[in-house]
Amino acid sequence: MNLVRKTNTYYLIFLAFLFPIMVTVDYYLIQYIVNSEVEEILLHESERINFHLVEEGTFPASNYLFETTPVSEDIAFSPKFKDTLFYEAYADKRIPYRTYEFIAQVHSQNVRISLKHVLLEINELILLLFVTTTLVLLVLVTGLFFINQKIYRWAWSPFFKNLTTLNNYDVAQKQSIHLEPSNILEFEELNKVVTSLIDQVKKDFQNLKEFNQNISHEIQTPLAIIRNKIVLLLESQNLDSKELQWVQAVYQETNKLSKIEKSLTLISRIENQEFKRLDSVDVRLLIENIMNNMIEMITFKKLKVKTNLNPVKIKCDLVLADILFTNLIKNAVQHNHEGGSIEMFLSEEKFEIINTGDESLIETAQLFNRFQKGNASKESLGLGLAINQRICELYGFRLDYNRQGRIHTFSLFFQ
Amino acid sequence: MKILVIEDNIELLKDIKNFLEVEGNICEIAHTYKSAYSKVGYFPYDILIVDIGLPDGNGLDIIKEVKKENIDAGIIIISARNAVGDRIHGLEIGADDYLTKPFYLAELNARIKALYRRKVYNGSREIFFNEIKIKPDSHEVFVNNHLLNLTKKEFDIFHFFVVNRHRLLTKEAIAEHLWGDHIEMADSFNFIYTHLANLRKKIAGSGGRDYIKSIYSVGYKFTDRE
Repeated sequence: MNLVRKTNTYYLIFLAFLFPIMVTVDYYLIQYIVNSEVEEILLHESERINFHLVEEGTFPASNYLFETTPVSEDIAFSPKFKDTLFYEAYADKRIPYRTYEFIAQVHSQNVRISLKHVLLEINELILLLFVTTTLVLLVLVTGLFFINQKIYRWAWSPFFKNLTTLNNYDVAQKQSIHLEPSNILEFEELNKVVTSLIDQVKKDFQNLKEFNQNISHEIQTPLAIIRNKIVLLLESQNLDSKELQWVQAVYQETNKLSKIEKSLTLISRIENQEFKRLDSVDVRLLIENIMNNMIEMITFKKLKVKTNLNPVKIKCDLVLADILFTNLIKNAVQHNHEGGSIEMFLSEEKFEIINTGDESLIETAQLFNRFQKGNASKESLGLGLAINQRICELYGFRLDYNRQGRIHTFSLFFQ
Repeated sequence: MKILVIEDNIELLKDIKNFLEVEGNICEIAHTYKSAYSKVGYFPYDILIVDIGLPDGNGLDIIKEVKKENIDAGIIIISARNAVGDRIHGLEIGADDYLTKPFYLAELNARIKALYRRKVYNGSREIFFNEIKIKPDSHEVFVNNHLLNLTKKEFDIFHFFVVNRHRLLTKEAIAEHLWGDHIEMADSFNFIYTHLANLRKKIAGSGGRDYIKSIYSVGYKFTDRE
């Protein structure tokens, strides 16, 4: 829900509560005002009649006077207002009246005088109030709606422009971000905060990129030298068996170190979004190429391969796609047992690879963690799936793992 | 052949130089952009091995210079930066091959020989070793003029051995040559062992000698020397 709709919804909810309250309050208020007006008129009339009686001894002509009743002197009576209904023949119904009764002396005889004044009908009053209040509110709501729309367009325009800028901004690009200035304090403050945040992110991004490049260079060159020297040492052929074991261990660990560094740098570079190319990758062709590179290994392990590959193209970096599928297929070959099987299915929706293997000891959730190995195989670094996970995150793919006994299934969903 | 190695790390430079000289090449070295630049200008080389990250310049600029001057030399980039962009850019401006550090010297040697063969003989030159003849472009191996029936990987292994004759090839170097950089296969050593056994059988079947010698348990050497 966008801002203006949200605001309007809140207005409407507020008005829904306000409406009955306003009608009720108005009803009692207007009733009170009308009653007190009527009472004032009746009081005034009673004063006038009293005065006339004292001065002239007769009743004046009055529109309000409707009843005079002689009463005995000793009855205690205080003047009072009352609401009464009178039948009116012209309307053929009973109509509400406000009455006022008081005692006056007419020719030394106590007389109870009743005055009446017609009242507005309650039903009519409520209807009237309802209509007027609704009208007022309707005007108010329409006004607010248009004002909101206007405000939305004018006052928020720098905000929305900046939102678009931020959406399209890429920390990898060289130039720094330029946000639309605004004379609204909050927006200006937001701009400041966002700009400084982005500058920081940009700096971190550059640092990380440089670090990745430096560490590759500074570590891989010495590793290359160490490895060359070890080969020279091995070639010299005058090591005893103990020394040979040591040198071999150094050689293996050096290789491992080099591979770990490469893999971690790769993960870091994927996370840092340094792979920007969006190639149209023919997945079927890619899988066939990978299989060709491994076919002898598959034959060597006597694996039965069943494939059902539909032509599918995905948009991603070709290098990463190669790593992703190589890792999946390699896993299925590597963790298989002799004479096992591999099944592969490829459709627009997903790629699925099912292989036989050992019962894995680790939990599915941990499988994608770094350095997590399914078995204690010496050569496996446990980084392949962590790399795959990063690649999937980058392109919005989803990689699921499922195991039933000794059957392992990896499903790669493309969207 | 005449090779110029441009690399800023002296120790690595010495390793490469020694390795290539044993192969019978004339190998010159340059460890700065400046010295590399002047050498490329004055002397003809068959192969240039260029490190991208030099202390006083970028190796890619040397390649551009070479291409601008129309110098006919094969170029192999060696770089620690495993950036795809660098690789593509390097090949675009005219490099012939790209190796990521740390590489095995045997791999570099194989690449140099392959490049040299492509450049000078259009790939048609055969490789001879005693009774063995290899036709690299058609992936054929003859023993006593008898064609061996090899799988692709068997040919790759054998070819790798022959171009690196008399050298210790560790199992790791062979595995990386066969499957590339980012594959660590648990069974690759067993696979190599089995395929070498098959290879030996096939060679023996055509009356060839067994030149593949196991060195301790670390690797193999293809040699006719004792």
